[in-house]
Order: sequence, then C-alpha cells, then structure tokens
Amino acid sequence: MNIWLVVLYTLLGTAVSSLVSLMPALHIYNVAGIIIILTMGTGTSALIPMEYVPIFMMAMVVGWAILNTIPALFLGAPDESAIFVVLPGQKYMMQGRGYEAAALTGLGALAGIVAMAVATPVFFKALPKLRQLTRPHNFWIMGLIISYMLLSEWPKGSGRQKTGWGRFIDGWKNLAAGLLTFLLSGILGFIVLTKPLVPIRYAFQNIMPVFVGLFAIPWVIGNIFSRTEIPPQYVCRSADLPTGIWSRGGFAGFLGGMIAAFLPVVTGGIGGFIAGHVTAQRDDRLFIVSQGASKSVYYIGGFLMAFIPGLSRTRGGMAWMLRPFYQPHTYDDYWRIMGVIMLSGGVSFFLLLAYSRLMIRIINRVNYRALSVLMFFLLLAVTYAIGGPWGLALATVATAIGLIPVYFHSRRMNCMGVLLLPITLNMGGLGPSIARLLRLV
Amino acid sequence: MKGITHFMTGVAVASFFGRAVEMAAERKSWILLLGGVYGIMADTLDFKIYSFFSRDDVVIDPDPLAPDASMVAAEIGRAIERAWDEDRLVKVKCHTIRLGADLWRQYVIKFDAALNEVVVVINPIVTTSQIPFLGTAPAENRVGRYRLGVPIVETHGRPTVVDIMNGPQIGFRKTGDRVLVEFIPFHRTWTHSFFTGLVAASAAALVASIAAGPGIGWYYGLVAVAAYWSHLVCDLTGYMGASFFWPFWKKRTPGLKWWKANDADSNFLFNYACLVAAIFNLNRFTWADPVRRVGHFIEASPLKYFLLALVIPVSAYLLLVRLFGRKGPEEKESEAIAEQAMRDEGGAELDGEFA
Repeated sequence: MNIWLVVLYTLLGTAVSSLVSLMPALHIYNVAGIIIILTMGTGTSALIPMEYVPIFMMAMVVGWAILNTIPALFLGAPDESAIFVVLPGQKYMMQGRGYEAAALTGLGALAGIVAMAVATPVFFKALPKLRQLTRPHNFWIMGLIISYMLLSEWPKGSGRQKTGWGRFIDGWKNLAAGLLTFLLSGILGFIVLTKPLVPIRYAFQNIMPVFVGLFAIPWVIGNIFSRTEIPPQYVCRSADLPTGIWSRGGFAGFLGGMIAAFLPVVTGGIGGFIAGHVTAQRDDRLFIVSQGASKSVYYIGGFLMAFIPGLSRTRGGMAWMLRPFYQPHTYDDYWRIMGVIMLSGGVSFFLLLAYSRLMIRIINRVNYRALSVLMFFLLLAVTYAIGGPWGLALATVATAIGLIPVYFHSRRMNCMGVLLLPITLNMGGLGPSIARLLRLV
Repeated sequence: MKGITHFMTGVAVASFFGRAVEMAAERKSWILLLGGVYGIMADTLDFKIYSFFSRDDVVIDPDPLAPDASMVAAEIGRAIERAWDEDRLVKVKCHTIRLGADLWRQYVIKFDAALNEVVVVINPIVTTSQIPFLGTAPAENRVGRYRLGVPIVETHGRPTVVDIMNGPQIGFRKTGDRVLVEFIPFHRTWTHSFFTGLVAASAAALVASIAAGPGIGWYYGLVAVAAYWSHLVCDLTGYMGASFFWPFWKKRTPGLKWWKANDADSNFLFNYACLVAAIFNLNRFTWADPVRRVGHFIEASPLKYFLLALVIPVSAYLLLVRLFGRKGPEEKESEAIAEQAMRDEGGAELDGEFA
C-alpha cells in the first residue's frame, strides 16, 4: 500500500466529512453510502481503489466525530450523541467562551484517540473474549442501562405545597414526564423499526427524521422561544485545562465511549452519562472533555472494532457499509487504520478550531434568534429531502415527544427510548409480543 | 456511596447466584436486572417518595425582591437553638427563590463549627441549568451571620447550595453536648434497614411467583434481598450510617467512616471491583460446559485473574491518584462565589474542610 495514497485518502475523507459535519441534521451515515458509491465507481474508473476505501471511510468517521460538535454547540442543534455537550456548552456560550468549549471537546476527542491507541493490547486480548462472554447477556445489560437511566433521574418539584401528597405530585411531574418520554419514544421506535413509514427508496434513512425530531428540532424551538441572547464570543489563545483534568476527562470519556461502542444501540451520550456517574465528575471542563472523548470513542471505536483481529464486531453504520466488500484480518490492517485515526484526528482538531472561529464570526454578526429560525427551516428542508413528506410527518411526531422533556425539565436522553426500548425487548425475546400488542404484525 | 455504585454493587451481588446467571443466559430471564434495581432501591424510596412526606418545623422562604442573608442566617440559627432547648429533631426547609421561568436566585448556607456560626451568602441569579449571571449578586444584605449560642457539629462536609427547583431540608438534633447538623434528615432512616429489604424483596418474590410459578419465585426474592442488603453494607462504609435495624432499633448506627459517600475515587474503584467480580461470575456460570467458557483459564486460577484484573490496576490507579490526583475536594462554582463574597465582606474564610 502506498503511504502517500494513505495520507491522501485520509485527508480527503476528513475534508469531505468536515463539510457534512457543518450541516445540522445530516449524519455522516446518511451521506457516506452515497459518497462511497460515487467515489468507488466500478473497475478502473474507481476514484478510490478498493483497498483505500476503509481508510477513506475511517477518516470520514473521525472527522465527523470531532467536527459535529460545531452545530451542536454553536447552533444548538445536537444529534443523539451530542446532547450532553449542549448544556455545558451553552453555559460557556453565555459567558462568551463558546470557542473554549469547542476546543475542550476537541481536546477530549484527542484524549479519546490517545486512550484507544494505548488500550490496543487490551482490545486484542480482552475484547474478543468479553464479546463472547457477554453475547448471551446483552439484553439484560441493556435493561440495566435503561433502568439506571430512568431510576437516576431526580425529582424537581418546588416543594411548596402544603401537604405531602401535593409535594409528591409536584415532584413527580418531571419524573413522570421522563417516563412518558421514554415510553412514547419507545413505542415510536417499535413502529418505525417494525413498519417503516418512509418510502421504500428512503428506507435506509428511516430513523433520521425521528432523530431530528427528537433531539435537534426541540432544542432549536427552545432557542427561538427562550429569546436567548448570546453575548459576544471571545476567541482565546489558550485553554484553562490542567493535565489532570484533561486526562481524567479523557479517561472517563474513553470508558463511556467504549461502553457505547461495545454494547448495541447505546450511544456516546449515554455511555458518557454512565461513565460520568461512575467517575463522579463535577468540574465543567472535565465534563466537556469527557463528552468530547466519549463521542469520538463511540464513533471511531465502534468502527475500529471491525478492524480488531478475532473480534468480528460490526458496530455502527459505517462498519455495516464496509462489511460486504472488505474484511480486515491482520494486525497490519489494524495499525494502519490506527495511524489514519491519529492523522485524521489531528487534522480534524485544527479544522474544529478554524470552523469554530468562523462560526463565532457569524454568531457575533447575526441575531441568534434569527439564526435559530433559519436552523429550524434548514432542519425541515434536510428532513424533507431525505425522508419526503412521510419523513416530515415522522419528524413532527418525534418533535412532539422531544418537546416533553424541554417543558418538564426532564432528561432529553429519555428520547433514546426510540432505539433502546424496541431493541432491548427484541433481544430479550419480548419484541414480537409487544409488536402484536401494538398490532404492528 | 453514589447511586451508580449501589446499582453496580447490586448487579455484582446478583451475579454470585449461579442459577440466576444460567437463567439469564439460557432462558432469557431478566432476573439479574433485579440486582441493579434493588441495589439502588433504598435511595429511590428516600428521594422519590419519602422525602415529600417529611414534615418541616421551620420554613425559610426568602423575599425574591429583597433577599436578606442576615434574616435567613438568624432563622436557621434560631432553629438550631430550638433543637437544643427542646432536645428534639428540628427540620428546616430552605425554599428556593424563583425569579422567572428560567431564573433563580442562588444562596449558600455554611455551618461553621470552628467559629460556631451560621453564614448565609446571597449569590448571583442563575438559570435552571445553574448558569450564573455574574454581576447580579445583590449589593446589600448579601452576607449574613448568626453567632450560635450552642455548639454544633457538621458532617456534610460542604456548604449547602440552594438554587433551583426544590430546596433542601436540613435537620438539627441535640446529640450529647452539641447540635448535630443533618443534611436531608429524611435520608437513611427506615428505608435503609435489613427488615425493609426483606419486605421489598418479598414483593419481588410474590410477583415472580405469580408470573413464573412459586417454584422459582422465591429465588427472585433471594436475589432481590441480597442486592438490597448490599446497599446497606455499602452505606456502612461512609460517615452518616443508617437505621439498619429499624423498626427494632430506630437510631442511626454510625458508619465506619472509611470514606465519604461522594468520594470520586472510592466510588470508581468500587464500581470497577463490581465489574471485575461480575465478569468472573458470568464466566463461571454462563455455560455448564467448562470448555465453552471463554475464560476457563480464569477459573483455573482465580487468584491470577483477580491479581491481573483487580489488584494491579487498582494499585496503579491509587498510585496515580497519590502522585497526580487532586489534593482536596473539588469546589463548585457556587461555593467559590460565596467564598469570595465572604472574603470581600471581611469575614472569616471557609475553613480547610470547605476550601
């Protein structure tokens, strides 16, 4: 394999994904398939020779994992794995430190990449065995994650009612809203996964309108109606990040990302949430770094698992797209792809800083509310383009569910019930009964 | 310990039941889920049910337009003295100060045992996400102090921050020659007893008996009670202790004071140890045929497994923490703002435990 071509396709993949990452609602998996078909072509006309396709794909994943922070942070339009970045990110934005927050997530992503490289011997030795061991237990492990998500939510009533029952009902409003959100999104997930509503030609994009509705649109609507005024943003030249905070945040994020990459359906946000609880994080910087690390390890680590000899794990959309025509077997494949991750990660980090500066220039000049309105229509347009009218209808239903946590101050993560509930119950053998109960089959 | 630690401990304890692991792997039973749910149940009962029914003796509800720190400090101080005079538990509810749909006035209460005073600091306005709007702290009556006539002992270890949603309840109880300050006094009472664990597990056994038959229902109860009791054993390692023997002996049994319940390192290590133990058990019990077990080498030498998977990593972690870890408890932004206000006011600084 020509080393210069490896570098070329790494840079090319990073560049392509950096453009996709800036577009809210678009996921790299939505466009990767199309890009790959266009670039591969057939026979000698192929733009990218077959052996370089995995390199190009990995670079796209790395670029996406690091750069999709930008729409989440600056435009308030997160995807399912970036929802936790938004809250502390907005806190930094309110203090004029949005650029610093972006840099911290980037530094977290780099910490995650370093941790993956360091953990390689563990990957080789332990992961194949752990996968074999946990395979029959995945359903209840997923059940544990769901249970902890729901049980760890805190009541948020005012406590001003005169009677105990009054306080109980008040306190349980947000808890009930959280449970309702999880249940409704779970039912929606059952419907979407059992009976796809979007036209058959868009079937592979089935879940995209749902995610946009559950996560991105409610946040943008919140920004529009809360009349958030973003103060002028300051572009700092250094970050207040001691090595201890960076390494602890990176470690926590790595753990979270690995949980997400290893278990089915669990996203980087949920993995980061669990790792955050396990490592008892308090510091905002540590939290942002850990979320950056978790998100990158989730996306990159999930795809990297396809390259670990003996693991035979296909995790994430990119791995599924690659599987039919490429099966890595050797340690050489693994180390080459690890090099690609490091190169692409480094380039993406500097692109993150450059794009953040660009975004700040826009935010400083344009009214944030007007930007949110524009974002709202952009989300609708992309959803329509990908899912057609049914996609818009699905996004509308999902938005209604996604707004519940916004207005009851419950966890937005409960919207992940859309995947967690149907897939966990299917894995536990209860899916068909539920589908029958819902008259879906 | 923190919620996730109780949850993980419950799962790890459940994994020691070989039949439960077999049932999960072969018959897709959700029995091991009971471990996590019952592991965290005692705290769930406290914070999601019982806390709402704990009566308040004194209610502090500062004026949103002109919050007066001295008045709040005096009300809390008088409640402490009342607990001394009446020789009983006096519970004080500290309401939050809501200013708008997404705006709250934050205040911080510090019990200074060394100077024997209550200090209250009115902090800046915050959003529901606890984002402070710096510069919005009141110009007047910002710091209030109340010199107590009775000695106090404080075990929470941090100032109490009151900001969003529901404010905390603080209890004062005469204990020996001092008044003990109890943060959230409803916590770790009847819910944290071996008896309650038994009752709660009976419910699991009953439901399982109905669903799966009495022949197996009792086993669900056994897993549930073991997980519930693991919570109590974990809480024993902390400072606060619990009413372990309620209803036979209602007083709280003090903890062993090995570490603080919210200590990040001990919680992390506990969780890690639980994971290692659970993996060991899943490996032992998942397949009857030892050849199919992925890590039968682990079983051949459990000592080697625990040395490699637990002892060495934990030792390395502790060494790293000792060399590079934080030297004291982390300080929240709200506490730092309050501390600065106290300095500006010219009063005493937070003592070493808080700073």
